[in-house]
Amino acid sequence: MADLSQQTSADEPRVAYQTARTTAKVAGTFAIVFLALFVSNFIGTSVIAPLRENRLVEMKAELRGGDPTEEQLADIRQLDLQIRRNRMWRLDFAHKSGYALLVSVVLFLVAGKLARVLNEPPPRPRSIPDVGAEQIREARGSRWTVVAGLVTLGGVAALLITSAAPLAFVEAKETGPSYASMEEKRLQWHRFRGPDGGGVSVFTNIPTEWDGATGKGILWKTAVPLPGNNSPVIWNDRIFLCGATEQKQEVYCYDANAGRLLWTGDVPVSPAATQARIDPMEDTGRSASTMATDGKRVYAIFVTGDIAAFDFHGRRLWHKSLGVPESAYGYASSLETYQDRVIVQYDQGDGSEDLSRLYALDGTSGRIVWEVKREVPNSWTSPIVVEIEGRPQLITLTDPWALANDPADGAEIWRADCLGGDVAPSPIYAGGLVLAIEPYSHLVAIRPTGQGDVTETHIAWTMDEGGPDICCPVADGQHVYLLESHGLILCCRLADGEKVYEQDLRDNFTASPSLAAGRLYFLSMDGVMTIAEAGPEYKELGKSELGEKCHASPAFGNGRLYIRGLENLYCIGEPVAGGRAD
Amino acid sequence: MVRPRLILVALAALLVVGVAALGLERFPPPEFETDYVRPTTTAPNPPQGLWEYVDAGVLAVTLVLATVLILRTRNRKLIFALMLFCLAYFGFFRNGCVCPIGAVQNVTLTIFDPGYAIPLAVLVFFALPLVFTLFFGRVFCGAVCPLGAIQDAVLIHPVRVPRWLESGLRLIAYLYLGAGVLFAAMGAMFVICRYDPFVGFFRLSGNWEMLVVGACLLLIGMFVGRPYCRFLCPYGVILRQLSRLSRWRVTITPTDCIQCHLCEDACPFGAIRKPTEPWPNKEYQVARRRLAFLLVLLPVLIGAGGWAGYELRQWLAMVHPEVRLAQRIYLEENALVEGTIDASDAFRALGRSSDELYAAATQLRDRFGIGGALLGAFVGCVIGGKLLSLSVKRRRTDYEPDPASCLACGRCYRYCPKEHERLKRGREGLVRH
Amino acid sequence: MPQRNDDVTRRRLLRDGLWGACLAGIGGVAGFAAHKGQKVDWLWQIDPYKCIACGNCATHCVLEESAVKCTHVYGICGYCEICFGFFDPEPLAINEGAENQMCPTGAIERKFVEEPYYEYSISKSLCNGCGKCVKGCNAFGNGSLFLQVQHDRCVNCNQCAIAAACPSQAFRRVPADQPYLLKSVDHV
Repeated sequence: MADLSQQTSADEPRVAYQTARTTAKVAGTFAIVFLALFVSNFIGTSVIAPLRENRLVEMKAELRGGDPTEEQLADIRQLDLQIRRNRMWRLDFAHKSGYALLVSVVLFLVAGKLARVLNEPPPRPRSIPDVGAEQIREARGSRWTVVAGLVTLGGVAALLITSAAPLAFVEAKETGPSYASMEEKRLQWHRFRGPDGGGVSVFTNIPTEWDGATGKGILWKTAVPLPGNNSPVIWNDRIFLCGATEQKQEVYCYDANAGRLLWTGDVPVSPAATQARIDPMEDTGRSASTMATDGKRVYAIFVTGDIAAFDFHGRRLWHKSLGVPESAYGYASSLETYQDRVIVQYDQGDGSEDLSRLYALDGTSGRIVWEVKREVPNSWTSPIVVEIEGRPQLITLTDPWALANDPADGAEIWRADCLGGDVAPSPIYAGGLVLAIEPYSHLVAIRPTGQGDVTETHIAWTMDEGGPDICCPVADGQHVYLLESHGLILCCRLADGEKVYEQDLRDNFTASPSLAAGRLYFLSMDGVMTIAEAGPEYKELGKSELGEKCHASPAFGNGRLYIRGLENLYCIGEPVAGGRAD
Repeated sequence: MVRPRLILVALAALLVVGVAALGLERFPPPEFETDYVRPTTTAPNPPQGLWEYVDAGVLAVTLVLATVLILRTRNRKLIFALMLFCLAYFGFFRNGCVCPIGAVQNVTLTIFDPGYAIPLAVLVFFALPLVFTLFFGRVFCGAVCPLGAIQDAVLIHPVRVPRWLESGLRLIAYLYLGAGVLFAAMGAMFVICRYDPFVGFFRLSGNWEMLVVGACLLLIGMFVGRPYCRFLCPYGVILRQLSRLSRWRVTITPTDCIQCHLCEDACPFGAIRKPTEPWPNKEYQVARRRLAFLLVLLPVLIGAGGWAGYELRQWLAMVHPEVRLAQRIYLEENALVEGTIDASDAFRALGRSSDELYAAATQLRDRFGIGGALLGAFVGCVIGGKLLSLSVKRRRTDYEPDPASCLACGRCYRYCPKEHERLKRGREGLVRH
Repeated sequence: MPQRNDDVTRRRLLRDGLWGACLAGIGGVAGFAAHKGQKVDWLWQIDPYKCIACGNCATHCVLEESAVKCTHVYGICGYCEICFGFFDPEPLAINEGAENQMCPTGAIERKFVEEPYYEYSISKSLCNGCGKCVKGCNAFGNGSLFLQVQHDRCVNCNQCAIAAACPSQAFRRVPADQPYLLKSVDHV
């Protein structure tokens, strides 16, 4: 008896150990099973559920085409319900299996630890013959590991330092602002009628003779996919223009040297514009507004009020609708840029509804930087930003005001009550005067140095022997030349507005006259360019025919002349332009 | 009178931005003809801040209790029980956030970000364990830290990690601390919390990466004692250094060491140091030269580290979302990448100019230059210091825990014959009284 | 022997000095941090004016069911009959059928108020914070639907996992006494 009981007590720890071990094994197995369930549930949520959701999206898309039957609808609803039920079920399952996993792991750990404690061997210190030597060895080993760590860190650092620096924008920052300065723009043709919108080229090597029929003097000619009356703009070796139909609005970028179409940018027609069914006058067209660039981005606006920005690689940065403009003949104001902003003259309505605005939009985002409400009716003039006495002024013409605002914040600088009717010719700044035209009536010169209402104080002179209805004026510092759409040239002295001469070209014009190297360029609607010497007398130098109808004003590059015909874009000039700017 | 006006201006600005950004009021909210009343928007209140103070209180109480259990009672079972309680409370009940390890970053952010002030409870969480360590050694690690506790609980079959490997792996913790502080100071992110391996278990839910990393650490932790504490924990790095200076700390024997060797393998964390033996003469000479060399090397390492850290600023800065965004926008604007991503779309929708972004990011890059240099110098200093400390001869006559590495778990007590003697005496003393 | 004693004393002095310095250091940092005042706690919240409803909130939260849910400010809502937060961009018909709904969990309830107005309300227990409705409402409506962190669910991680994944950096810490960043209705 005594023997037996002794044996039992000796076995007790053994039995306890066995029990603990078995428990640990069972709990461990359960833990693995629950883990597998947990993981499979996770895979279910992250892999299978999205598949089903995709199926639902597909089913919906399929139905969109035609008339869905009750059956199809029921299917979709069934699947939707299933997905949602499944999601709830999986959430619940994850919870339950998570808890079960936790419990089984805890059980496993408790049993395992117990087994370990019950079966722990007594401490059995290793006898090391030479403790001193071992300690020295240990220290040496540790030192070498640390050195290895140091080498690894150093290696990684060296690799990273020598490889290309990842932050490209830092270098970009050091090269300056993300827009061209006014000085840079002066050497380009960045907007309608070039720098300052004056139609004056800084280049002296502009061609004077060509012939569209024989191809003489024409460097290249390329088709423009969609129609538009806007003029080309130039930045270095890129030419931009745009075109539109009722369904499509596109921006084109051409290579200036070869005439190749580099890219086409699409500006979606806003739903509001589609609904409004805009029907502009045929002479205006759907894409009358000339684009503008700030040297980094190009901007285009269409008759629909849809405006967009593209980078020079053709990526659309943003597009937005400014609201469908109410314009009697169709919206036609061209864009202007100031720093990294695009300026939009958005005059519309009859002036009673407070619809007209002047906007400055941020070029990178399209956000409105500032806007000015103006109680004026629709107009067709384009804004210009010119530097006057060291300060930029944004000058716009409306009925009845000629206005100057600060392009930085939109604050008004001065206004003069001097215009009326449907104003269309844009202002120019020449000889210290802002010149504005009221069609069929007069040309007025304003000294832009005033503040507030300058109607009484700053109007230098008025020439009231008529004014062009479409074409903008051009000035050479001594004289200002006006071109009426039926071909009458009117030359006045810039100093006092005295008429100097009149000359009838007996042709029809919509393109504005331009000036390069002391020569005046008049492009008729039939594509005939009349070149005359600037000065107090009319002296014709020659005529060149393009052989295609032209509505848009020409653009002047270095030794080149770019003319947009109704269907083609022409580059006139030599393959390699050798001249320099003045 | 300035304040209300400022607020008005701010409100107006907000309004303009809001309208521009999101096109509010496309459809004017209707005037209802029926007696319909617009429901008010309800938003559930956050739990009362009271809990934070309860946590701080529990932390203080458990630290005191841990100190008593570890230094006076010397009872592993009670220590383990307290540890389990802390695991349950700080871990599973309070979801493991905020913990002192993460609080390092909150303190850093408070110092560097004028707009952030650390909540009092988090500050207590940061400072209290440090103070306790300065007095009593790493009692926080031993019984209070939930991250330590979960690893300690899974330790079933400890294996010895060779000393050389341990020394090498420990460097990771220093790097981690340096990076955590740098990124917190720059306001990039709380990297230590982002990669907290166990918080997913405490909440019984988490990102799968988090869970997988945590599970791997726990699996390793079944055989290698507390891998996170020893090789990764950035807070542990601070505690190690403070523990070297602590007033009182764990001893294996309650009285004096009789050199019986029995405790030699008692520590699963390899923290028990053997008595030293005198070095042979030749070794002394080599050691002296080596020491001289390493003393010269230390400033070189610090300098080189600082330089490398500065040069790496571009890479370090990429951790900051603002810098990553600037990089992305630049690539997009220059057609170096195709398409856009959510971040660049969001940037454009908000209408910030890219120049502004580049300027901000460049400024951040420069700040990372300073921070990177400091981080590099710190790493250089750590490596140099480590090499030095491995080259100095220590004098030890008894078996004792390494003050820095000892996690105060109390496992070694029962290996000491003197401890058994003490317990026996205690029992007899109880009987006698 | 006296030299050795000197050595020990010096060492102890150094140790005590360091010890004191550490204590002072902890005290200094704690003092500085505490001096900065502000006893309030911080919580994570989404700035609705920055949020682009990318959908990360639904997938990146450490909780299985995200702590972010849609919030509706009725004062801004246009009570549209055709709500692009509720309906698919190209609905087959204007009714509450599952095939016409945007919400993947059916968490938006549509209720007739009066001709032609409908009330939309979010049942928070179903919402998973995916932000599809928010996107629709921002793009075509008044933006009265937007995502907010629900503080009864949020565990307030020291580093919010969604904040780290947010592409528009819309997440920020807000003081606990102003836990929500609701869109304001003052301007209506």
